[in-house]
Amino acid sequence: MAGVPPAGLDNEQMLGIAEKEMEYRVELFNKMTQSCFNKCVDNKYKESELNMGENSCIDRCVSKYWHVTNLIGQLLGSGRPPV
Amino acid sequence: MDKSMIANMESNPEADQRMAIMIDQLQIRDSLRMYNNLVERCFHDCVDTFKHKSLQKQEETCVRRCAEKFLKHSMRVGMRFAELNQGAATQD
Repeated sequence: MAGVPPAGLDNEQMLGIAEKEMEYRVELFNKMTQSCFNKCVDNKYKESELNMGENSCIDRCVSKYWHVTNLIGQLLGSGRPPV
Repeated sequence: MDKSMIANMESNPEADQRMAIMIDQLQIRDSLRMYNNLVERCFHDCVDTFKHKSLQKQEETCVRRCAEKFLKHSMRVGMRFAELNQGAATQD
C-alpha cells in the first residue's frame, strides 16, 4: 500500500485510514510468518532450534514474499482490469 | 507497529492518544490470535492418538519444541520484515 493520502481529509478520516493501514500490516506479517514456517520448517520438530538451512530459507522466503506483495500491489494499483 | 508508520497527521494530542489506544488494541488482538494459532499448529503436528486423556511424554516434548521453534521463527521474520520496511537491501 503505497501513496499519499488524498488532500482535504480531516483527522478523523486520517485516523480511520491509519487504523486500516495498521491492520493490513499486521495481517501481512502474520500471513508471511505462517507461509514461511509452512514452507521452511520441518514439522517433525526434532529439536527446538532453527538450523542453518531453515534460517536461510526463512530469510529468502520473507524476501520473496515481500517481492510478491509489491508486484501484486503494482498490478492492482495500475487500475486496468486484470487480463 | 509504531506511530512512525503513519505520516501526514496533524500533530494533535487527542489524535496521538487515540492512535496509542488503537495500537494497544491491535497488539492485544494480535497476541491472542498468535496464541490460538500456535496451539492449533502444535496440536495438529504433535498429537495424533487418543488412547489416553493426558499428553504423553513425547507429545509434550514435541509441543514444546514446536512452540519454541515457531516463536524463534516469528522473531526472525520480524527482523527481516523490519529491514525490508526500511528499504535495506540484503544479499541473495
